[in-house]
Amino acid sequence: MLRLGEKVIVLDGATGTQLEEKGLFGCPEDFNITAPEKIREIHRSYAAADIILTNTFGLNAIKYRGEFSVKEVALKAIESARSAKKSVFFNIGPTGAMLKPLGALSFDEAYSAFAELAEITKDLVDGYFVETFSDLYEAKACVLALKEHSKKPIYVTMTFDSSGRTLTGSTPEIVANTLEGLGVDALGVNCSLGPKEMESVVKRLLAASDVPVIVEPNRGLPVLKNGKTVYELGVDEFDFYIGKFVEMGVGVVGGCCGTTPEFINAISKYSGREVVRRAVAKKTAVNSATKLVGIEGVKICGERLNPTGKKKLKEALLNEDYDYLIDEAVKQQEAGADILDVNVGIPKIDEPRVMAEVLRRLQEYVDLPLQIDSSDKEAIEAGARYYNGIPIINSVNGEERVMNSVFPIAKKYGAVVLGLTMDDNGVPETAEERFSIAKRIVERAESYGIPRHKIMIDTLVLTASAEQKLVKETVEALRLVKTLGVKTALGVSNVSFGLPNRGLLNKTFLAMAMTCGLNMPILNPLDGEMTGAVRAYAVLSGEDENSERYIEAYKDFTPAAANSTAATRREDKSASTLYDCVKKGIKGRAAELCEEELQRSEPMEIVDGVLIKALDDVGKLYESGKLFLPQLVSSAEAAKAAFEVIGKRLPKNGDGDGLVVLATVKGDVHDIGKNIVKVVLESHGYSVLDLGKDVPKEKVVEAYIGHKPFAIGLSALMTTTVISMEETIKALRSVGCSSKIFVGGAVLNEETAREIGADYYTKDAIEFAKVLNALKNKD
Amino acid sequence: MNCSDIGKSICNYLGYGKAEPDENVRRLISECLAELEKIHGFKYQYKIFDRVPAFLEKEPYSSFLNGCSAVILCVCTLGAEVDRKIKYLERADMRKSLVFDACASAYLERLADEFEMSLGKNLTYRFCPGYGGSDISDIKYIFDLLKPEKIGVTLLGSNLMLPQKSMAGIIGVGKTAKKTCDGCINASSCAYRKEGATCYGSEKK
Repeated sequence: MLRLGEKVIVLDGATGTQLEEKGLFGCPEDFNITAPEKIREIHRSYAAADIILTNTFGLNAIKYRGEFSVKEVALKAIESARSAKKSVFFNIGPTGAMLKPLGALSFDEAYSAFAELAEITKDLVDGYFVETFSDLYEAKACVLALKEHSKKPIYVTMTFDSSGRTLTGSTPEIVANTLEGLGVDALGVNCSLGPKEMESVVKRLLAASDVPVIVEPNRGLPVLKNGKTVYELGVDEFDFYIGKFVEMGVGVVGGCCGTTPEFINAISKYSGREVVRRAVAKKTAVNSATKLVGIEGVKICGERLNPTGKKKLKEALLNEDYDYLIDEAVKQQEAGADILDVNVGIPKIDEPRVMAEVLRRLQEYVDLPLQIDSSDKEAIEAGARYYNGIPIINSVNGEERVMNSVFPIAKKYGAVVLGLTMDDNGVPETAEERFSIAKRIVERAESYGIPRHKIMIDTLVLTASAEQKLVKETVEALRLVKTLGVKTALGVSNVSFGLPNRGLLNKTFLAMAMTCGLNMPILNPLDGEMTGAVRAYAVLSGEDENSERYIEAYKDFTPAAANSTAATRREDKSASTLYDCVKKGIKGRAAELCEEELQRSEPMEIVDGVLIKALDDVGKLYESGKLFLPQLVSSAEAAKAAFEVIGKRLPKNGDGDGLVVLATVKGDVHDIGKNIVKVVLESHGYSVLDLGKDVPKEKVVEAYIGHKPFAIGLSALMTTTVISMEETIKALRSVGCSSKIFVGGAVLNEETAREIGADYYTKDAIEFAKVLNALKNKD
Repeated sequence: MNCSDIGKSICNYLGYGKAEPDENVRRLISECLAELEKIHGFKYQYKIFDRVPAFLEKEPYSSFLNGCSAVILCVCTLGAEVDRKIKYLERADMRKSLVFDACASAYLERLADEFEMSLGKNLTYRFCPGYGGSDISDIKYIFDLLKPEKIGVTLLGSNLMLPQKSMAGIIGVGKTAKKTCDGCINASSCAYRKEGATCYGSEKK
């Protein structure tokens, strides 16, 4: 009987190495059927181990290319593994394909492949050994598939490189936080490195989680001999490190590539030893695939992705214009947010679908951990499922109904839950009453198996204008709930609603709340005064040691720039007119100077007299080789910022008038050229609908029909994808496309453009804008 | 790594030709290189073949490999985080994303060159499917033989690699050869050549 976590468990060694020894080359999984006796011999040679892993590493519907069905192979493999008369764990390796957006495989496809294995094996094995995963998202798909089909123990090991990261950039702390959250029984590291090189990863895993830790090193680093990779580390040295790991507190040990029965025999002496106890401080932490944020001190949660009172965001959500959301997210990250709240709740929206899609899109760009903000149980679950990491769920409250629907989701996906101190009777007045709701939330969470460090409490801010006396109750409640050992959050800017000079009240209230133990203000990070107050508090509370972060943020501080979110760049001061600003490409000042200019001139005068003139001059300098791409783009961005200001004063254009649809065609992922075109066209006042890269022709046709744009720009970089450009043009023509079709990209020229049926070939963004302008003037 | 000498390729990618970037852009280049150094996850996978794999038994590979004693196939990458950073910068700071992208390309070439020096002295340059009129889709044979998903590189249906900052190549063992523009489909319209430069950094010959 395995006593995971109490007694050390020993795993078997490499299978591949043994297959080669026995002269078996080819699809390793097929030998379960074609050479079962040899497979049994290998398993029996590892009988000193406590757990035998089936010979099924490459067996899943996506990777397996052998002669038989997945089921046949799985059943035979389990039967053979049983011959060693030890516990048998079903071995699951990665699909070999990368998940979107890093590859082409969807989360659901990966999930189905693993679910198939679980379905076949759930009653036949003693557990699952998920190993050599390099992508945390794929590991999540696998763990969910196993958990949803079987009740057997799940051990998961990931592979790290010598810098201590997985291929997709996850650290040991991120891996531990995520896998522990998903409820695996043991987690650890295998493959890629030898025992010596693994030591720091092992240390970090042991410190990050109290889940039993697995170590399964290779037999040292491989060396190349006569064109073949060989492993040369000796048994004694391997054993020395395994002994060391056991002393450090590792609970499961084994061998990966290059190890043989000799190695497992040597380390089998650790089997049954008491696992060395270790004290792990439980921390409240959330993470994306590449960033972990511990809720310690004060962390800023950006509130701008919440459509309440935000017309533009509502529109963007309804139109599925997720680019707008990405821009908002990036702006908040740039301004210093640590976590981003995501709320997509508007009437008539398919909230679960949109939540999952928005999270997926956001995490392609922003590495900040996300907070799923919804009152729709299905949307919360969809978000938590497709999120690549450990999110915060916002929120539950003291109502039984709400707790009972949200806590199971939080438990299943390992999310941190934000609990609001209100219930069926509303928000209680006194701090004590709010504290007692908090206590109820914490206790109920614990009954669902959710520990305190996974709970945060929001003691709810009421407006000072309506409930002046209750402001101090909120703050006092913070102090009380901290005694429960949980972290706290507040939507601080509610306090000033209905009063003048709201910023002053918000900032003062934020300072009061931080002093009383507020950990996560939910606020607008673009408000430099608010993020500034958090930075200042970190200095005064001693959390920002030597004021390092503060100094870094304000080293270029000048009183005039006090209200801007980012420190003003030196070069910004050299531009005193809007024309200069655009010509020199100073984005920060362009909007401001444009506002000033609007006091004096009509919008169209500014467009023609200043912006277009400046852009023309920049274009000429670019064409004559006196100014280069980085400057061109800066100028375009500055002009774009000015156009955004002017756009608010101009009547809206008619349908499709001035709209350009851009796409990098199907099969092509190079979109830097298209992105340059986008910013240059926008700088000329065109609105651009960017369909992205790898865009199927159907999507371009759909955009044409839906928007009837003035022009469509297609980009392709490779000769192979020019074909897909041609097909896109054909598809557009077949629906009678009347928009001008522009093509561009490294391998195109006038001749090819004509051949594939485009209207215009333009060699760069400047020329694209020129031709467009000329066409517009003709209209 | 000494980055100062890849500055030339970077400026080349950014379209500077023989001109010098101004101080702002120079500062931005060093900033990007410092960040790259921190976040890149360079991986290089290769295999040596004593017998030429079948897909290389045609032109232009035969000429390229003529006189070689063995062939190395390789795939290398800067990893997923570099791609993600470029994507982020496209939204946060377009100018920086351009510069970062150019820096990453030059950086990858450099790391690959450095790695190849450890493989021996008597080697050709990396010949990539697509050069010299070869079929870019031959890249799939390299993937079949190397299985570079181990280092996180996969091939899309259109034979493009992900992460984007990845390369796949063919290296001849037993002779030396330097890159030229001969046979490049873009040779007649190449913007680099007009500037007296090449896309691979050295002067036009």
